[in-house]
Amino acid sequence: MTTATAQTTQVYEVFIKATPEQIWEAITTPEFTERYFYGARIENTPERHRSHGPDGSVWADSATREYDSPRRLVHGWRSLYDPELAEEAESRVTWEIEPQDGGYCKLTVTHDELQGAPKTAKSVSGAGWMMVLSGLKALLETGEPLAS
Amino acid sequence: MEDDNVFKALADGTRRHLLDRLFERDGRTLTELESELEMTRFGVMKHLRVLEDAGLVATRRSGREKLHFLNPVPIRLIHDRWIDKYTERHVSALAELKTQLEEIA
Repeated sequence: MTTATAQTTQVYEVFIKATPEQIWEAITTPEFTERYFYGARIENTPERHRSHGPDGSVWADSATREYDSPRRLVHGWRSLYDPELAEEAESRVTWEIEPQDGGYCKLTVTHDELQGAPKTAKSVSGAGWMMVLSGLKALLETGEPLAS
Repeated sequence: MEDDNVFKALADGTRRHLLDRLFERDGRTLTELESELEMTRFGVMKHLRVLEDAGLVATRRSGREKLHFLNPVPIRLIHDRWIDKYTERHVSALAELKTQLEEIA
């Protein structure tokens, strides 16, 4: 992105033809996340949001703040895979799943409280969350992750 | 159906202009967006509504204000579905042509 400063609140939405339970499973279990989330094996439990890279290194380990399956998940965000990003303050990620007509759900990801994390804000904007959400949609609707 | 709404929303200069404004700075109110356009408040509202229906603009309430955020995901999906596919083919066709011509030569 060519924006001078990335936003301290970022909102992303996508409509996915899947049930809330399927989407919930896809965002909380490592077998799913590694197929669309830059290879990260992410585990979201009522207590922790943990992520491991393909080599087993810890990419994230933050507290879960809300866990309301299969509707709403809120957790802290600190990018531990990059030392510069890991130094920044923790931000917040909210996942909301709302059923729509025709077997669709609206999935909204809000990444906010980024005031103390300008580099993280920049790294997740642009292709960052967009690739995750378009990959998640492709995986749930076709069974295949995006090429690339 | 989803694609139709996105293409319709993008087929208007004012709406593309609104997306460009949000690309520069996200999370804006109607009043802020309106002040940059030669258009009535009602007109801007109508355009934002179309963008919202297409999923290109997401809104959030903050106190008494409604903030508008650019949601780039539908554009990415259009890109994957309608642009990648054809440009890839084009590129590989050219690559094939090059191989064939080089074989002849």
